[in-house]
Amino acid sequence: MTEGPPQPHRSRSLVGGLLAGVGVAAFVDEAVFHQLLHWHHFYDRSTTDAGLVSDGFFHAFGWLATVAGLFLYADLRRRNGLLRTAWWSGVCLGLGGFQLYDGTIHHKVLRLHQIRYGVDPAPYDWTWNAIAVLFLAAGVALWLRARRTGDRAHGRPRVRTGAA
Amino acid sequence: MTVVAAVLCCALYTYAAGRLRRRGDAWARGRDAVWWLGWAVLVCSVEVPWGTYLPPFTAHTVAHLGAGMVAPLLVVVARPVTLALRTVPVAVRRGLVSLTRARVVRFLVLPPVAAVIDVGGLWLLYRAPLPAGVHHSPLLYPHLFAAGTLFTFSVLALDPLRHRPGLPLRAGTLLVAAAAHAVLAKSLWAAGPPGTAYAAADLRMASQLMYYGGDLVEIALAVVVAHQWYRAEGRALRRVRMLSTVAEGTGDGHDQSAADAAAAHREHGRRTVAGSP
Repeated sequence: MTEGPPQPHRSRSLVGGLLAGVGVAAFVDEAVFHQLLHWHHFYDRSTTDAGLVSDGFFHAFGWLATVAGLFLYADLRRRNGLLRTAWWSGVCLGLGGFQLYDGTIHHKVLRLHQIRYGVDPAPYDWTWNAIAVLFLAAGVALWLRARRTGDRAHGRPRVRTGAA
Repeated sequence: MTVVAAVLCCALYTYAAGRLRRRGDAWARGRDAVWWLGWAVLVCSVEVPWGTYLPPFTAHTVAHLGAGMVAPLLVVVARPVTLALRTVPVAVRRGLVSLTRARVVRFLVLPPVAAVIDVGGLWLLYRAPLPAGVHHSPLLYPHLFAAGTLFTFSVLALDPLRHRPGLPLRAGTLLVAAAAHAVLAKSLWAAGPPGTAYAAADLRMASQLMYYGGDLVEIALAVVVAHQWYRAEGRALRRVRMLSTVAEGTGDGHDQSAADAAAAHREHGRRTVAGSP
C-alpha cells in the first residue's frame, strides 16, 4: 500500500455528478413537462418578479451545468479517476436538490407555474417532492458508500498514472 | 452597407489567412469557414425583410438573435485579432498591440463590464422608455452586433489579451448574463417594450424565440469555455505522465519521484482550474 491523500478524485467525481444531475433535472423539466406534456406553462399570470429571476438563473445554470458535467466526466475518464459511486451520488443529489427546489420554491413560494393546470395540484406536488426526497436520500446513501470504497481503493489512480 | 462591410471583412480575412499559409504557418481552414458564416448570418439577420414573413416583434427578435448572438460567436471563434497580429506589417502591428493594451480596451474586455454593456444595453432597449425612433434606427443591429461581439470576445478570451481573465470569472459572467437574458426574454411574454403595442401572440412567440434561441448560443459558448479547460487539464496530465515515465526509467527512488509528480500534478490541476488555461 502506498501512502498519500485518500482518493484524490472522489470529490471531483461528486462535483461532476452534481452538475450532471442538475443538468438532467433541468432537461427533463424542460423537455418532458414543458415541451412534450405541456403541463408546465412558460409564463403564469401569478408569476412573481423573484420567480422570474430565479427561473432565469436556474434555467441558465441547468444548461451550463450539463456542459460542465459532461466535460468533467470526460476528464475523469481520461485520468482513470472516476469513482462511480461518488459520481452517481452526485447525480442523485443534484437531481433531487434541483427538483425539490423547483417543487417547493418555484412552484409554491414564487408561484412560477404549477405542475399541471385544470386539476387539483396537491397530489402532483406531493409526488414531485417525494421523488425529489427519494433521490436526495439515495444520493446520501451512495455518498456514504463512496467514502468507504474510496478509502479502500486509495492510491489506485497514482498506480495507473505511473503505468500509462 | 452591411453587405459591403461583410464582403470586405471576408476578403481581408481570407487574404491574410492565405498569406499565412503560403508562408508555411498553420491556420485551420475551418476558421475561414466560420468567419464567412458569421458574416453571412449577420447579413441575413439585417438584410432579409423578416417582417414580411413574421409578425413585427418576432421578426425583430430573429434579427436580434442573429446579429447579436450567433454572428458574434462565429466571428469571435475565427480569432480575427490573432490573425491580424500575425499578418499585418510591423508598424500596424505595433499600433494594434498598443491598442489591445490600452487602458480603456482592457477595461471594456473585462467580462463583467462587457456583459453589462451587452445585456444591460438590451434591458435598456426593451425596458427603458426610449424615444420611438431608437427601435427603428439603422444603427440598432450594428450596435447589437458590436455589443454581442465584445461580450463573446471577453468571455471566450480566444484572442491574446494582456491579462486574460481566469476561467471562474468568465464562466460566472456567462452564467449571470445568460440568466439576465432569460429573465428579460420571459418578461417580454407578458409585457412588450414600453411605448409599443405589439399583439399578444407576437410577443409570446418573440419571447420564446429569444428564451430558447439564447439558450442554444449560450450552450455553444459554454462548450468553447469548457473545452479550453479540458485541453489545459490534458496538457497538465501529459506533463505528469511524462514525469512519472522518466522517474520509472531511472529506477532509483521511484516511489519518491512518482509521489512528487503526483503532488505536482495536483498542484498544477488546482492552478489550471483557478487560473487561465
